[in-house]
Order: sequence, then C-alpha cells, then structure tokens
Amino acid sequence: MKYFLILIVSLTSFVAISQSGVCGNYHRKYCKMDEEKGNSGWQYNAQSKSGLFNQGMISKLRCVIYKNMDYRISVCCETEIGEAVNYKIFDSRTNELLFDNKSADDSQVFEFQSVATRQLIIEVMVPQGATEKDKHKATNAACVGLLIEHKLTDKQGFSNY
Amino acid sequence: MNKPIVLFLTVVSAFYLSGCGNSDKTDESESTEAAKTEEVKSDVGSETFFQVPSPGEMLTFIKMVGGQNNKNVSFLNPASNQKNYSDSKSKALNFGIYSCDLSYCSIFEIGAEALKYFKVVKVLGDQIGVSTAIKPELLKRIETNISVPESLAIITDDVYFSSFEALEDGKQGPTLALVVAGGWLESIYIAVNLAKYEANSPIVERLADQKYTLENLIEYLKKHEADQGVAGVKADFESLLAIFNSIKEQEAKKTVKNKNPKEATLEGGTELVMTKDNFLSIVEKINTIRNSYTLTK
Repeated sequence: MKYFLILIVSLTSFVAISQSGVCGNYHRKYCKMDEEKGNSGWQYNAQSKSGLFNQGMISKLRCVIYKNMDYRISVCCETEIGEAVNYKIFDSRTNELLFDNKSADDSQVFEFQSVATRQLIIEVMVPQGATEKDKHKATNAACVGLLIEHKLTDKQGFSNY
Repeated sequence: MNKPIVLFLTVVSAFYLSGCGNSDKTDESESTEAAKTEEVKSDVGSETFFQVPSPGEMLTFIKMVGGQNNKNVSFLNPASNQKNYSDSKSKALNFGIYSCDLSYCSIFEIGAEALKYFKVVKVLGDQIGVSTAIKPELLKRIETNISVPESLAIITDDVYFSSFEALEDGKQGPTLALVVAGGWLESIYIAVNLAKYEANSPIVERLADQKYTLENLIEYLKKHEADQGVAGVKADFESLLAIFNSIKEQEAKKTVKNKNPKEATLEGGTELVMTKDNFLSIVEKINTIRNSYTLTK
C-alpha cells in the first residue's frame, strides 16, 4: 500500500508541474517593463517567454537579435527564488559564451548591443534548493520570466531609404 | 490486494493516464508563448524553445529607418479576399497575414484602412477560435484612436498578443504555428514591396537577416508538422531558406553605433551580404509563396 501511495503522490506532482497557464504570461505581469524602469524607448519583444521551472532544470531559448539595436534582457522570478536564477547567453552557431550573470554579480538585467545580427541561446537554470511550497505548483517548481526589450539605437536611420 | 484498493488504483490510473495524454498539448501551449517556438529535448532536463520576432517589429523598423511617409496599401491582402478562405489552413495563415496588414496600417498611420483590416481580423479570428481575444469593444477603441497612431499601434499589438494567448489556452498549436508563419511572411512581403535594392540599405540588411528568423520559424513548424497544413508551409519555407542560404557571409565589422556606455557589446559574428541577384530571387520566392496563401493571382 505504501508504494501505491508514493506512486500517487509522484503522479500528483507530475500533473501539477505540467499544468498550463501557471506561468504562461508571468514575464508580462511581473517583470518590470520600461515605464517602471524610467527609461524611454524600450519596446516589448515578442521573443520573451515564461515557464515553470523545476529545481535544477535548464531551459534554453533561441532568439534572434539584430545589429544596431539595443537589447535589454531581464530575468524575473518568484520571490522565493530571489536572485538565485542563473542565466547564460551563447552564440548559437559557435556556442561561444557571451555572458554569464554569475560573473556579473548575479545581475538579473543585461543591456547590450551586438556588432552582428545573430541567433542567441539564452540558457536559464533554477538551482537546486531554490524553491518553496506553493499551493498551485509542485513543491520543487517556480515561475521564471524572461523579458526581452529592444529599441533602435539612436540616430541610425533616415539615410538610406 | 483487496478489491477497494484495486478499484481505487484503477480510477486513479485512468485519471493520470488521461492527464499524461494532455500533457503534450500542455507543453505545446507553454512552448508557444509570444511569437513562435518549438521545444526540443536536446538532453536530459533541458529543452530549447525557438522564438520568432513579431511582424510589428519588422514594420516599426522599416518606419524608423525612413519609411514614415509611406501610405501605400496597394500590396496588402485585400479585405474582400477574406470570403475565399474556407479551410482551416488558409483561415489561420490569412489571420496572420491580415493581422500583419492591420499592424502595418496602424504603424504607418493609415487609420481608415486599419478599421477595415480590424473587421477582417475579427471575422477570421472568430472562425479560428480567438473570438475571446478580439472583443467587440476593441473596435470602439480603434474608432476612438483612429488619428492617434501610437494608441492604434498599441491596440493592434494587443490584438496580436491576445490572439496568441487565446490559441495557447485553447491548445491549438498547429493553428498558432500557421498564424505565426502568415504574420512573418506578410511582414517580409511588405518589406520587399517598400524597399528597392541598395547594397547598404538598412531594410535590405534586415531582410537578409531574416535568414536567422526563418531558421527559428522552421524549427518551430517542425513541432507541428504532423498537421498537413503546417507540413506544407514548412516545405515552402524550406525552399525559401535554400535561397537565403545562398547569401554570402563575411566577418562582422567591429564597429558599434552610438553605444550607450552602460551597455555591453557582443563582439564577433558574421554579417550577410545580399547581392541584387539574391534580393531578386528572394523577392520572387516570397511573392510566389505569399500569393499562393492569399489566393492572389
């Protein structure tokens, strides 16, 4: 009987984790958008995404960033995790590591410009032991939002069109 | 094992097995957040989602680099074509196409046309199952803001993103894939209709860079290629990618324009050098694919 109860508890956790809508739009609701940050010109980028993360889980997002644009990537997560989320940015073609927030004081925001248009892989990881209980989710899971914003670098246009 | 326990376990197993059956769709819904995506298990405990910028991003870029006075709507998909779309594939594709046309009218401040395209988007939206996202009161908001381009663009963005959410919530992965494909294609179609070839034109450069977006989009479509409509679009887009692949690559210049001192610079990478022949081949292919979707002769 004990084993069956364990099986049932495990299945309960699985179903809770796979529920849709738990984190679907988390980044739009909880990551601070431009106006709250007091800067002008940033626009929401549709490549932003949220997801439900288990402890120790790594998720990768491949996006396209264009040259002569400014980008701001913000990672936000439920308060229990605090600033424990790690993320790294790689060039998807060469796998070259371009940024690691661990080497930038665990910064949750990264502003950059690229000399070339390229595909980036943004790898997000929630470390073990980073989450707490929540009535809607499994005990080892938490919502993480990845907000991407962009703006045209100033004084670039009106010349060749 | 006694009978009550067996019965209990049978019921529980049936419940969870049905839950597992839905979990693919649930993951699918999660994976399509915003504009795009496919999920691929690349290794244990890790998955990759493929993202695609929204059509509005391309159109805003075109406007900002010099096309702000453009009011041409002759190349858009005529609203009257809507009645010709009877199957689910053409409805979804053209919902994406018309949504992009609506964005174009809003961004380029062609308010009266925006109203017309909103009505078409609403009709097709009801048919593909996103009626909850395109509420009748939006029409009032558009009418009120018809001469306020910033507000109009925000409203039409809302239509696009709300439709995404509705399709996700409805677990309509293949429909969403077709909407994304239609929207992206129309944004490129508009770009090639507005731009003429010049070697250093920012629009031509941005067009060449669509190679990377197209690669992401094809990866996303692969997830839903069990659907015949999606498989057909994927094949079309792969033939377009073959032409993009003929564009020459060279090492990126190391200069960065007007850099904010707070910003990091991502060095390296390559840039695509589009020749006039590349451009004309791509334009021809885009016209062929797009007009086959809109049923435009």
